Amino acid sequence: MKLSIPPFFRTTTFRLAVVHALVFLAFSAGLLVYLYYSTAGYLRSQSVRELDSEVQALAAAFRSGGMVRLNQSVIERSSVPGPFFYVLLDPDGQKISGDFQSIPDEIPASESSKTTFEYQTLDRNGQLQTREATGIIIRLPNQAALMVAYDLGTRSQITGRITTAVWTAAPIGLALSLIGGLIISRSAARRAEALTRTTDGVMQGDLSRRAPVVGSGDEFDRLSERMNAMLDRLEHLMTMTRHAGDAIAHDLRSPLTRLRNRLEADLASIDETNPEETLGKTIEEVDAVLNTFNAILSLARIESGTSSKFEEVHITELLMELYDLYEPVAEEEGLAFDCEIDDGLTLKGDYSLLAQAVTNLLDNAIKYTPSGGALTLRGRTTRKGQLEISITDTGPGIPAEDRERAVRRFVRLEASRTRAGNGLGLAMVSAIASIHSGKLELSDGPGVEDARGLRAAWVVSS
Amino acid sequence: MRILVIEDDLEMASFVKKVLSEAGHTVDVVHDGESGLALARSTEMDVLVVDRMLPRKDGLELVREFRDSGGASPALFLSALGDVDHRVEGLQAGGDDYLTKPFAPSELVARVEALARRGGSEAPITTLKVGDLEMNLLARTVNRGEVSIDLQPREFRLLEFLMRNAGQVVTRTMLLEKVWDYHFDPQTNVIDVHISRLRGKIDKDFETQLLHTVRGAGYRLQA
Repeated sequence: MKLSIPPFFRTTTFRLAVVHALVFLAFSAGLLVYLYYSTAGYLRSQSVRELDSEVQALAAAFRSGGMVRLNQSVIERSSVPGPFFYVLLDPDGQKISGDFQSIPDEIPASESSKTTFEYQTLDRNGQLQTREATGIIIRLPNQAALMVAYDLGTRSQITGRITTAVWTAAPIGLALSLIGGLIISRSAARRAEALTRTTDGVMQGDLSRRAPVVGSGDEFDRLSERMNAMLDRLEHLMTMTRHAGDAIAHDLRSPLTRLRNRLEADLASIDETNPEETLGKTIEEVDAVLNTFNAILSLARIESGTSSKFEEVHITELLMELYDLYEPVAEEEGLAFDCEIDDGLTLKGDYSLLAQAVTNLLDNAIKYTPSGGALTLRGRTTRKGQLEISITDTGPGIPAEDRERAVRRFVRLEASRTRAGNGLGLAMVSAIASIHSGKLELSDGPGVEDARGLRAAWVVSS
Repeated sequence: MRILVIEDDLEMASFVKKVLSEAGHTVDVVHDGESGLALARSTEMDVLVVDRMLPRKDGLELVREFRDSGGASPALFLSALGDVDHRVEGLQAGGDDYLTKPFAPSELVARVEALARRGGSEAPITTLKVGDLEMNLLARTVNRGEVSIDLQPREFRLLEFLMRNAGQVVTRTMLLEKVWDYHFDPQTNVIDVHISRLRGKIDKDFETQLLHTVRGAGYRLQA
């Protein structure tokens, strides 16, 4: 047979059960010891009291009837079977009566003394055995001596009983405590096992696996919840990456194809065309591709970003600065541009990204609002205590059914296809909002009918 | 000007060399960090153009060691890493400017020339003068000839930057970075609008125009 530690011995279940058993055993042992001393001690003191009254009775007999009466009493008592044995000695030390041979201890000069001694006797089977006894010896006024003693039983008897009790109780206790420990730790082990199965599933590529949450709110539930949140994030990022890959492939293909066709056409007519103009256009085309590419990269960086480098950003100042930056632009475009910015707005965030988000929204508002329209940049704290940055315009707006789509990357709504842009502006705003635990909300602006306008609000619970 | 280009990508190195040479500068090119550092230490250079990722000693390390050993020539980082964090790292290492690849040739030339100019001026300047346009940096006033010109604080900073780089091309991105401290490109022509406002104040009622538009590159303030 090969000796190897089965894996069971390495489990938490086993360890918990063992610890449980040990604690239980220590407790049982303590209880046994306590019980032994309290019961045996009680019996002993009970016996001492009986012994005392026995001695008192005999002393009374001596006082009332002298040696004769005492002798009678001793003879009577010796003949009755009981726990006590007696011995009466005359002043010379010769035994007068009693069921014990002699007094084993020194006899006190006067009064009485207590003694504990061993003596030998035959048991029922005729075997010699050592027993223990305790007794009281008294010196009578006439110099005679009397001893009353009782048998304490054999030491082996007592220890034997205890040993039996312990050996009976111990395995039962051990078994019970092991079972108890196993029951307690089994449930923990089962929960841990569930977590292991989940991670195994995820490692094999099934990102939809989630750890079970029982609803007890214990450590395992909390661990499962954290793990599930982590898996959600992971799955989200994986999906993002996949989408980004698809989108890049899709959206870079058309400008690159266009570029290639143009170059081919240029090659065919290289002598006739104005090379400066053709090449200039080609460079513009390449620049557009590079810009899109850079935008994709920074969007990806934002989306996978962390908030570890966030600092306190003075939103009021940031908005005022952007207002100053864009105010002349709006004027140039024939737009009225107002701002309503509360004092002292702050947010933990990335200054550069926040500025970029607001810039993108302002760019859009200016780009799509026809001359004569109006823009408003607002920054305020809502009644719910959230920070809200909003930009309203009086442009054509985005139909309600298209709003969700407009925020997605590379989506360019029909109306804007003819304008310059890479379709990443709102996606970037949305991504920046989301890493600041905020949200981009699009709704109707202040206009009506065809020019209902657009309100792009950026809400962050600060 | 004598410019040292430290760039391991051969094609990029020869492109940078060509661009800067055409702008009239003397250009030395090395392809790894260690020889770059050695040359920068042994020869007085007006500007270092350093790629961030180099063999045998990366760009950050190179500039840090160069600064530690007392090297004063301004350094411009070239990098494909355009993050704000990377930019900050570059500036902390002792770089003076940061340009993300790909870049327009005019952008590179403008930035290198701006750096060389800045490196030259040691004494604190209190007045700037371009033609008959005068700026007092202490009183924060601007005059053109006898006429006092009233500028908004941001317009003042914009003009100050242009005057400090007088005679040289400054690009829109440079203005956005140095005057507004924004490190991204807005899609609208915000800078053009601000320049045209400034032009309205400093040039409109005067015979000679000082603020010129350089097609395809940026602007230049020149008497």
